[in-house]
Amino acid sequence: MNDFPLPVRAERSNPLARVFDELIDFCRARSMFMLHYCTGCGAIELPPAMTSRFDMERLGIQPMVTPRQADILLITGYVSIKTLKRVILTYEQMGSPKYVIGICSCTVNGGMYWQSYATAKKLNEYLPVDVYIAGCMPRPEAVIEGLRKLMGEIKAGRANSWERYFREYDRYLAAQQNLFGPNWQTPTDIIGEARDYQLYGPGTEGRHTELLQQHQVPLQPLRMTLHSDVEKSS
Amino acid sequence: MRPENYQAQSHPPSHEYELNFGPNHPGIEGNYALQVRLHGDTVVSAHADGGYLHRGFEKLMEGRLWIQNIALVPRICVPDPVPMEVCYSLAIEDISGLQVPERAKWLRVLQLELSRIAAHLFYFGGHAATTGMYSPSFWGVADRDLILDRFEELSGGRVYHIFNIPGGVRRDIPEGFLGRVSALLDYLEARLPEYDDLLFRNQVFVRRSKGVGVIDQQQALAWGVTGPNLRATGLGFDVRRDDPYLIYNQLDFEIPTEDSGCCWARTLVRRSELQQSIRICRQVIAALPDIGGPVRAPIPNPLAWNVPVGESYTRVESSKGELAYYVLSTGGEKPYRVHVRGPSAMHAVQVLEKMVTGGRLEDVAQIMFSLDACPPEVDR
Amino acid sequence: MNGEVGRPISRLLADVDGARCERKGDRRVRIDATPENLPAVLELLKGRAGYLHLSAITCIDWMDDGEFELIYHLWSYEDRNLVSAHIRIPREPGVYLSVYDLFEPAGFFERDIHEMYGVFFEGSPDQEKFILTEWNGPPPMRKDFDAEGWVQGTFQWEDYRPEWLQEIEEKGGGIAIKPEQARANTRKIRGWKQ
Repeated sequence: MNDFPLPVRAERSNPLARVFDELIDFCRARSMFMLHYCTGCGAIELPPAMTSRFDMERLGIQPMVTPRQADILLITGYVSIKTLKRVILTYEQMGSPKYVIGICSCTVNGGMYWQSYATAKKLNEYLPVDVYIAGCMPRPEAVIEGLRKLMGEIKAGRANSWERYFREYDRYLAAQQNLFGPNWQTPTDIIGEARDYQLYGPGTEGRHTELLQQHQVPLQPLRMTLHSDVEKSS
Repeated sequence: MRPENYQAQSHPPSHEYELNFGPNHPGIEGNYALQVRLHGDTVVSAHADGGYLHRGFEKLMEGRLWIQNIALVPRICVPDPVPMEVCYSLAIEDISGLQVPERAKWLRVLQLELSRIAAHLFYFGGHAATTGMYSPSFWGVADRDLILDRFEELSGGRVYHIFNIPGGVRRDIPEGFLGRVSALLDYLEARLPEYDDLLFRNQVFVRRSKGVGVIDQQQALAWGVTGPNLRATGLGFDVRRDDPYLIYNQLDFEIPTEDSGCCWARTLVRRSELQQSIRICRQVIAALPDIGGPVRAPIPNPLAWNVPVGESYTRVESSKGELAYYVLSTGGEKPYRVHVRGPSAMHAVQVLEKMVTGGRLEDVAQIMFSLDACPPEVDR
Repeated sequence: MNGEVGRPISRLLADVDGARCERKGDRRVRIDATPENLPAVLELLKGRAGYLHLSAITCIDWMDDGEFELIYHLWSYEDRNLVSAHIRIPREPGVYLSVYDLFEPAGFFERDIHEMYGVFFEGSPDQEKFILTEWNGPPPMRKDFDAEGWVQGTFQWEDYRPEWLQEIEEKGGGIAIKPEQARANTRKIRGWKQ
């Protein structure tokens, strides 16, 4: 998936700013909140990894219950097509910078469910994945090793594949539409966000995002009324 | 979060509102969802939404060889995989008339009971966490890990062992294994009073779980509840005793029951079962050295194995309830049909929907965990 | 008592036309019924013989015969015996009666069979999709649905052809042999019998 290599972050000329960047990366690497979403069977190895025996918390990795406050999306195992929709919605809600870790062989290429009509095969087609941890299922040590690798990448400023989702949104959307049908919509405005983050690239818009606008149904806000309001209005 | 297929509906004015409980929710077990309608804190109606873990196992199994499916079946229930392997193997042995060596039967029982202990320890942690207590989940997971270590020694895998194959088990136990299991059982038994203090004598847990999520025996029978959840309503039914498989009819164990049928009773039944499982393991450890012989019956070349024509409905008692496999062979290389009846197929859908209705929102998670509902068994 | 279980059931079913009962094992009894008399058989079993627990309903697709086979597995807590009642219904239109009024667990199994096989159960409380809500294809468990073909057509598989493999393939080796082919080859080489 390295058709468009990501531009390496330019070193800033101001030495103070450079120190500041490094400090931010260091802090980011030391406090990672991973989203509490067990998408598959690999989730069974997370409780041992999180609790007293392997203790991920000593590395600053903690479970977090809401996507808005999470940094890491752990895809623990195969994603069925139904789950993949929710995973994509969740991913788009997470604040940048955000990282995706694919645990288990099934996220790499479908694993032992390659024949299955119900699971998505290569996670990398739908979301930019930072680290894969292979195995069925990987041991807690392997999970922690993978997370440490991610920490190293973040510290070195190299873990920026989340930018890829903005720069090449059209390609990711193509894979999503291929699986979910042309009507596929998410409530998040990725193109607008890409402009906002200054990550608008040549691959952000294309054939598939046009389709997005074609099928767009304006989202209506849910009407929230209390009983007394209704009585007043009626 | 609004999935694209979710249609906002306008409801008549009322105080009721809808809440999506899951799939991305810390109070839901696994990847599963409940749509609950609430009036204040009271659940008016609940609608289960599964299929997030659907892999199409039954279809996959029709496309693979008999022996390849052994690697698939444990994935159907992640916290308690051994009963799946054993049940599938028993079904094939039943159809093809394979005689399992005596030693293999005892080894299977040892694994089944160790797996049951591990699943129940995991269950304590999960259930306690839904009432806001996190220490039991730290303890339970850590103690479960010690069992996984023994499984790793036995089979090389921590979670998925794939140790039982049609005809017996893959290989004999390593030297000194029984001694280490015995030491582990001693440790677990010594830990039980501590669990009692932490969980069952803890007023937070007692007041939170007693009298919550009650089902009586009539309802339980009508709704198809099985396993520990049925025993918590006072009916001492256990597949191990009433439809015996392997060597369970030679073992001495009790079927613990409780009468109140609430979340508390369900946990207490599992705690007593833990003790019985330790007792069974001790009997196996005592008997195993005297039982010699092979651990595997010779099977035909597994890559060209045509299981003879036949059908079998095999049941085992998993930690969650009655687990059954219907296997049909038309004499081919691959099964013609495998139907998995997971115990949670009942508990997580119909029973859960009925039980949470009328209860309070904060008890939804607790009821689901106390039923030990395992979503992958529902979705398959 | 256990050895005698088969006889009361056969006596019970004597009044029902076309229901045959056969002891298959220690605690297993097979009943062959017809779609017309199955509700009567189940009612008799539940009401007179204490078969309270519906363990499962299994559906089998006999595509070549143009039939679906439905198997109702019932368990009696008193007799400690499992009865499997088999019926066959035509594949088209694939409609049968629900037994939800007798056994509440049937609701789940009928819903499951409905979405996996497309069999419609009249009178079942909920035939909405449960697992396959995002699936628009044919009922996947039917034998005429080719899952592997669907997968090959839907997902793009990267061709794994690194240079070192191409070199090996030029020499006549490689991994481009299908598993079936490999199996047949092995069988041929070692002289295994089918």
